[in-house]
Amino acid sequence: MQEGNAPARAGITAWPLEFTGSGGEYFRVWIVNLLLSIVTLGFYTPLARRRTAQYFYGHTMVADSPLEFTAQTRRMLVGFILFVALYAAFKFAAETGQDTTVAVMLVGGAVLAPYFWASAMRFRFNATRWRGVRLQFTAGWGEVYRASWPVFAFAAIWGAGFSLIGLYIPKERGTGSLATALGIGLACAIASILCAIRLEYNYKSLTVARGRIGGQPGRWKPQFGDFVRIWLATLGVFLLGLVIVLGLLTAALGGSFALLKGMKGGGMMAAFLGLAIGVAAIFLLFLASAPARAYREARMFQLVWNNIGVSSVARFKCRLKPWGYVGLRVKNVLLSLLTLGFYRPFARVSEYRMKTGSVTLHVKGGLDQLAGQLAREEQAVGDAIADAVGLELVG
Amino acid sequence: MGEALRGLWFDGRSSAAREVRLRLQPGPRGPSLVLQAGSGELLELRNEQVGWPERWSAGRMPRKLTVDLGANGSLQLDDPASWQQALAAAGHKGSLAQHMQTRWSMFAGVLLAAAALVLAFYRWGTPWAATQLTRQVPLGWETSLTDRVMRDLDQGWLKPSKVPAERQEALRGRFEALARSLPPELRRYGSYQPRLVLHFRRGMGANAFALPGGTIVLTDGMVELAEKHRLGDDALAGVLAHEIGHVMHRHTTRLLVEQGVLNVGLGLALGDVSWLLSTGSSLLTGLSYRRNHEAEADCFAVALMARTGGRTEPMADLLLKVEGDAGAKAPRQDGGWFELLSSHPATPQRAQALKSGGAGACR
Repeated sequence: MQEGNAPARAGITAWPLEFTGSGGEYFRVWIVNLLLSIVTLGFYTPLARRRTAQYFYGHTMVADSPLEFTAQTRRMLVGFILFVALYAAFKFAAETGQDTTVAVMLVGGAVLAPYFWASAMRFRFNATRWRGVRLQFTAGWGEVYRASWPVFAFAAIWGAGFSLIGLYIPKERGTGSLATALGIGLACAIASILCAIRLEYNYKSLTVARGRIGGQPGRWKPQFGDFVRIWLATLGVFLLGLVIVLGLLTAALGGSFALLKGMKGGGMMAAFLGLAIGVAAIFLLFLASAPARAYREARMFQLVWNNIGVSSVARFKCRLKPWGYVGLRVKNVLLSLLTLGFYRPFARVSEYRMKTGSVTLHVKGGLDQLAGQLAREEQAVGDAIADAVGLELVG
Repeated sequence: MGEALRGLWFDGRSSAAREVRLRLQPGPRGPSLVLQAGSGELLELRNEQVGWPERWSAGRMPRKLTVDLGANGSLQLDDPASWQQALAAAGHKGSLAQHMQTRWSMFAGVLLAAAALVLAFYRWGTPWAATQLTRQVPLGWETSLTDRVMRDLDQGWLKPSKVPAERQEALRGRFEALARSLPPELRRYGSYQPRLVLHFRRGMGANAFALPGGTIVLTDGMVELAEKHRLGDDALAGVLAHEIGHVMHRHTTRLLVEQGVLNVGLGLALGDVSWLLSTGSSLLTGLSYRRNHEAEADCFAVALMARTGGRTEPMADLLLKVEGDAGAKAPRQDGGWFELLSSHPATPQRAQALKSGGAGACR
């Protein structure tokens, strides 16, 4: 990689990011993780996550220096065990019918969710190092809870929505109005989707704006409207995907539907068939939504990495092509299905490579100007929970 | 020891790099690291103060390598190959994971251990867990489930029996004789005392099935088939004994528990590969347990029939006739891969085992 391969403006240097790992190598890392997790009955999980992060970070070259993932094994293990204990306690309470305990834990979990999220972010930022300098996540708890208002708005919307719907739903002939009840339900659904988008926006902007490296704060420019537009476009892609999958299905199975109708009330057979159709429907939904999910991911990645920076020191530019990414994802999903999932490590590497390679870092004034900050250690239980709910370390 | 290596030291106070020379010194607890900056500053780090980077592959080296020096920042190496050489020379021992990544023998060893563990989980772990958990399930839960299922069946798929009342009485007498003579050694769960009830129904072909908690249903089709081929009451009694075996082994409850244990266990082990693989293997394993249940119930029937002076050969013939009738419509392949997908063991083998009085198949 050569320094300054973009036209140099007033001391600005362009550094394309690069991922130098390979699918075959990561496959080995992954299968070793899998085997060791089986042999240790799952307790290898935190170490497996650490190794995965180290593989991806260590092969991500930022301005000719790899990223570093430095979380301590012991902390991650303790966080994981605390999480397992919490989960087991919850399951036990639920299975033995201790409704009060379950309710308290559910409400407590919801109230503490922003806390755990911020804790996970602190942990992950703190564990990330570049040229010896750690990232930091400096949002205060008050700030995190204020940014979490969509969570509480969501609860309030459905609390009010359900009681209103209860009022309008027709109980006897001539009372209430089904149309009004449905309308309220639809309004609640739309409002809660907006809440989800707002939450994503708030958390992403907080992550960047309250993130710091070497004392320099992050810069965040995207607007909420940008996020809503991406979600609308994603909805369009999803509907398109649905039409295509259903079209292909009808063309392929046109004959068998007639056969299906010909079967008469066949007892067990009908029940079994119903179940099979249910499973197939979920599977088709997963297939049809794959392009839309990839599209959203790519558009979001593009938006964020075109509009963030580090104070006045650095800017990012992103050349990711959303449809190219969708194509890669479709190929990956098909190959993963054909190989019963054993292609997934290769898929993950190819997607990560495409994303990383699309970003260019523009630095003003050299790479030596960041000052290191003293690290504050963070407990890892929030990180373990965030991982369990699908917030991946490497994304 | 050897030649000093060159590296870039980022001390954590700023992102500026400092050129250093480094040496790895062998020690009793693995190598230690000495950095010497151009200014003459010296940094000595014990083995446990250094986060030794893992080796991902035996062949390829990463372009650059970063060594975690904890509070002392990090060390960046532009020549990972000579670092690895120096590390090996200084007696560094990598983690088990690293050995598995770089040596096939190590990988194969852990693969075998994992396979053995999964096999043990299948052979002993799940059945043991199922027995322990099934003990905790009260009889009342089973009977309330059965009441619900019987109501559903009576509304949709089953009709009142048309078998003459005296024939029903005769078979019920035989059934109760079987139920009375249950020896303690055939009771898997000592304190489990369900009330065994026989119902006659019409529908669902030639069939007999047991519901948890003691309810057994015999269809008219089965009674008629036995009569058509003049197989006598011993054939039907054998079938009933088989169903009593399902009840006394609490097979339905066991199956629910076993499937639950499998879903959780295999989900944890294989969920990271794919949902398809973990669910698929969980379903296939569940079917394999079901085939075991059938074999267990057959053995139960053999033992109970021997005790009440009945023979199991007629039951074997009846099974073959049931399959022959169904087979006329949809020929079924036996053995091979198809066997893995079926809930019952292949009928010819079952009939064979029943005719030989369970020899070989039953303990």
